[in-house]
Amino acid sequence: MNDAPRDSEIESSQSPRSGEHPQSDEKLMVAFARGQADAFTALFARYKQPLFGFFRRRVADPAQAEELTQETFLAVLRAAARYQATALFRTYLYAVGFNILRAYRRKAAFRATFLGEQPPGREPAIDSAIETQALMRQAVGRLERLDREVLLLREFEQLSYAEIAGLLGLPLNTVRSRLFRARLALHDLLAAPASHPAAQEFAQSKERL
Amino acid sequence: MNTAIHSVAPEEVMAFLDGELAPAEAQAVSAHLDQCADCADLAGRFRATSESLAQWTVPPVSSSVEEAVMKQAAQVAAGRSPAKAGRTTQLSFWNWRLWAVGGGSAVTALLALIAFVWAGIYYEDRPRPSPPAAMVVMSQDAADYAKPQGMDALVPQEPRQGLTSGARGAPPASEAKKAGIAGIAGSLPASPAEPAPMIARTVSLTIVVKDFAAARASLDSILARHRGYAAQLTAATAENAPRSLQASLRIPAPELTAALAELKTLGRVQNESQSGEEVTQQHADLAARLENSREAEERLRAILAQRTGKIEDVLQVEEEIARVRGEIEQMEAEQQALEHRVEFASVDLQLTEEYKAELNPPSASVSNRLHNAFVAGLRNAAETILGIVLFLEEDGPVLVIWLAILGLPVFLLVRRYRRIRAKL
Repeated sequence: MNDAPRDSEIESSQSPRSGEHPQSDEKLMVAFARGQADAFTALFARYKQPLFGFFRRRVADPAQAEELTQETFLAVLRAAARYQATALFRTYLYAVGFNILRAYRRKAAFRATFLGEQPPGREPAIDSAIETQALMRQAVGRLERLDREVLLLREFEQLSYAEIAGLLGLPLNTVRSRLFRARLALHDLLAAPASHPAAQEFAQSKERL
Repeated sequence: MNTAIHSVAPEEVMAFLDGELAPAEAQAVSAHLDQCADCADLAGRFRATSESLAQWTVPPVSSSVEEAVMKQAAQVAAGRSPAKAGRTTQLSFWNWRLWAVGGGSAVTALLALIAFVWAGIYYEDRPRPSPPAAMVVMSQDAADYAKPQGMDALVPQEPRQGLTSGARGAPPASEAKKAGIAGIAGSLPASPAEPAPMIARTVSLTIVVKDFAAARASLDSILARHRGYAAQLTAATAENAPRSLQASLRIPAPELTAALAELKTLGRVQNESQSGEEVTQQHADLAARLENSREAEERLRAILAQRTGKIEDVLQVEEEIARVRGEIEQMEAEQQALEHRVEFASVDLQLTEEYKAELNPPSASVSNRLHNAFVAGLRNAAETILGIVLFLEEDGPVLVIWLAILGLPVFLLVRRYRRIRAKL
């Protein structure tokens, strides 16, 4: 569907947004790989905010989110010479980002388990300036892990079902049914923010999937 | 929501909103939404969810990220190797490259060590020419093979010559045989002053023959022709294995070269070694001592013949004569043995058949063997199972204890890891 990125402010997923930029992402990336330095400047300008959003919504610590964003871009740069425009750049970028996120989570969990470091909480409730954001983070956090991932990828990164399926390694139907379930659950959670403990427990017990 | 009365599935409504449906399906869902209040409500919920989520905005990313990335981008574009500059991964304990490189070099070092040690041992083991023994080692290949024969006991030669230490005065039965070399034996003790070198020769030969029986026959005829004999001979004929023969031959020294040449025609010479031991000095010493003893005996006999005395004295002289006589006989035997070693070269021969496996019909009947194998298999299986049961009975409790001691912390850590991981 959409080739170009969008910022999280645009809520509708259906409006086609091609033509916003004179050159496609893939062409820019190829141009950069051939040594055109400013091509990446344009790419970075397009994606820095979406990618930061990707990490910021998944990692509680803003500084960590920035670090991961930077790491993702650097990884893309390192691999620039090997880049081939077989897939959308956007998909490629999120795939790299997702791998980096996974590695970060693994490392953090490992350190917390074996080295006794404090596990990075999902929500440092105090520092969230805006209450709606805190609410949102909390509500999303109550979803089952994979449901949450599918929902975030769809709502904020605007990936198609097929792209999500590819990224998470799930069948297309599973993506659809999980997305369906996650949206309805989130709707209920947002409608009743002060959910009763039983539902909370249920959501937490499912998290370990 | 009852799907029975809806023409579209709820998930399709969602897919329609996400723009994931094909045009025809999308049209159907769109039409259905216009009519169905339930589905329109569902669509409304989806939209509401998306709208609420859209409020979850993220502050702009700090400029430090941009600086770092653009710096790196400039480097990459300038063609500088980006791998070094942007490398953020350090070598951690879990880095597989670290392990691969470390393990690889460890294995290489181990192999090198083994190779060194092995080469050292091999070098030590190799026979080296040692000056005092004056030994000659040579190996050669001769593509010559001879004829076969069965494996009876010994070669029809004189089994032994006067080697027994007791047979002193009696001349050797095979005196005629020694005729050719009698000159050496006779002249040597007579002239100890001029040392004609006495050399006891030893040859060892390993020969691989094609036709074992033929080689046996030729061996016998070679021995007969050169007036040699087999001091010892063992032949082995095992089933399904190469036949072999081990013999210790004695061949008259002058004939040695000719006999060796003939022996080598039996088959392929795998190994040959010759050595000669110089015994001239030894022989001369022996001869001198023997002469002394004989003179002493003469004198004693003279005393006994000329003098008369008390009976004790006579007895004492006779005792002395007997002792000297014994010495003389012993030395004579020694001398003879020495001379024999010089007269007859010793050839240690090893004949091995070049093995050709034969397709023999199975000795036991096939059904019997199948049966036996089956029984053995059952027995083995039963023993194995019994062994496992016994092991578990004996060591099971201890194993459980250790498993609990070692496994519990691991289990707890893994569980903790999973929990933390799920929360991230």
